[in-house]
Amino acid sequence: MSAMYDETYAEDGDVQARIGGFLLMAIAILAGILVIAGLIYAMGTGARHRAAVLAGGCEPSLFISGLPCTTQQMVISQYEGIVNPAIRQLTADTAAYRANEGRHLVAAEAALTAEVATEQALDNSLAAMTFTPQNRARALALNTNASATGNQNVPPAAITFTPQMTVVADALIQANQALANLTAEQARSSSLTELRSFNPRAEAAGAAVQTEMKLLHEAVTAPLTAG
Amino acid sequence: MATTREPYSRYPPAPPAAPYGGPDIYQPDLYPDDAAGTWDEEEQPADDYEPQRPQPPRRAAKSRVEERRADRSRVDEWMDKDFKFGGSRIKRKAVALILLGAPAVVPLFLMAPAFFTTNFNTVSVSVDDTLGTGAELCLFLCLLVSPMVTLTGQRWFFGLRRWYGIMMAFTALGDGFAAGFTDTFANGFFGRLGGHVFELMGFMMMMLLVPLLITGNPWAQRKLGRYWKTLHRLIYVIWGLLFFHLILLEGAGFERGSNGSGFAGDGDPIFHQRLYQYSACSLFLLTLRLPPVKRWIAARQSEGRNWLVWVTIAPIFALFIFGMIFIVNEEIFKGIDSFRETPAAE
Repeated sequence: MSAMYDETYAEDGDVQARIGGFLLMAIAILAGILVIAGLIYAMGTGARHRAAVLAGGCEPSLFISGLPCTTQQMVISQYEGIVNPAIRQLTADTAAYRANEGRHLVAAEAALTAEVATEQALDNSLAAMTFTPQNRARALALNTNASATGNQNVPPAAITFTPQMTVVADALIQANQALANLTAEQARSSSLTELRSFNPRAEAAGAAVQTEMKLLHEAVTAPLTAG
Repeated sequence: MATTREPYSRYPPAPPAAPYGGPDIYQPDLYPDDAAGTWDEEEQPADDYEPQRPQPPRRAAKSRVEERRADRSRVDEWMDKDFKFGGSRIKRKAVALILLGAPAVVPLFLMAPAFFTTNFNTVSVSVDDTLGTGAELCLFLCLLVSPMVTLTGQRWFFGLRRWYGIMMAFTALGDGFAAGFTDTFANGFFGRLGGHVFELMGFMMMMLLVPLLITGNPWAQRKLGRYWKTLHRLIYVIWGLLFFHLILLEGAGFERGSNGSGFAGDGDPIFHQRLYQYSACSLFLLTLRLPPVKRWIAARQSEGRNWLVWVTIAPIFALFIFGMIFIVNEEIFKGIDSFRETPAAE
């Protein structure tokens, strides 16, 4: 009798084991499909992340996970905060030079010297906003400190250009530096005639600066893209 | 059953006393799911198996238990050996268990500064992320022990089950109390804990954990006898309630655009959806508890084809690891923010 029980039990056990095997295979296949699907989904993480950052109005290339993001509006505000005062000052310096270039050498050279200082200050401010390792490290430190104290706004000094904007900004800085060098040379003139002889070259250099400034403005205000 | 000490005792003879910290002597009948039987040569019946097996004579049962104890894996024996550490000798198993059990204290450690400084802002914003996720991790690690015994045949790490269970209870109770004091729902402590269905699920889990915490020791095992195993099956009810807690909290979908669960901050809303993480981990833990599956594994192991078991289990285990990676990821990042008392809300 006990042998019959054992035999029945053994057969039922075999059936149970087979059922277990089928069950395990089915679940393993399902799990395998889910793992493969997960890996495929994971490959699109970068694109989804950039889209999510864009949806939040953040500049994707300036985004640092865990910290307040830099929006396009912040970049525009910071850029205009540097460029607009410089343009106003340069306009005033140019007007002062024009008023004195025909009759008063010292006053004309003073206006040119002020113009050089404005151009160099503009260059320094733009260089501090470019996307360089040093500037990004400083931005990260400032942003982290601000976040740690509960401030959810990005400090102005931590706002930088994107890599694409930096290319145009570097061209503007170079053009502006060339204009500043020419203006400094013009300010060392010993006569009004020599002073005025620089005007055609200064105007050409100034036109180049204006072109680069226009290109930078377009780059800063262009719609955000994921790339 | 008569014993020399208590001739008319209603209860089976008490198991040998074990030091606190987990029984060194494996008591298969006193644990909710007996995984060790898969390495026996004869098949073990599933818990709900119908045909009545004739009860073997007591002497054969005793020798079967002795056989099981004798049939220890090589790793178990290796782990039981001492080695010289400093000026004394310590078992390899002790060092390994300390290292494997250390993660259980991490969630409470990460929340400790906020509790000690009574920083209610940190507690209210991130306690569910740090302690809730931590309790979930402890639960899964507790439930992982038996399947690993099934698969490996080793038992040296069995004590981790009780350790992770106890820490899961403390972590979950911490989460519940913090939620009751700091959540923004109305009507006081119990209103906050029971006013919303998902929190009611959490409250029920807390209540069920209390008897498990109180009876999770050898003294209670002796006192409760066979009822101890039945009581501790409540862990499965808690496991199921966690599903409802998460589905009510997160929903079944995931974030699209700026709406939904999963927080797409890194572009992976599906991986950060807590219900999906739970499901990915639970599939492995549940599958290896199914009696037919355990029978199949036992049969393959007795044939010496353990490689087939591992190959078949691999995708399910990979899914489990996938889920655990993102649960641990959340615990680390949210936990560090909690520790620094600069919580980041989702």
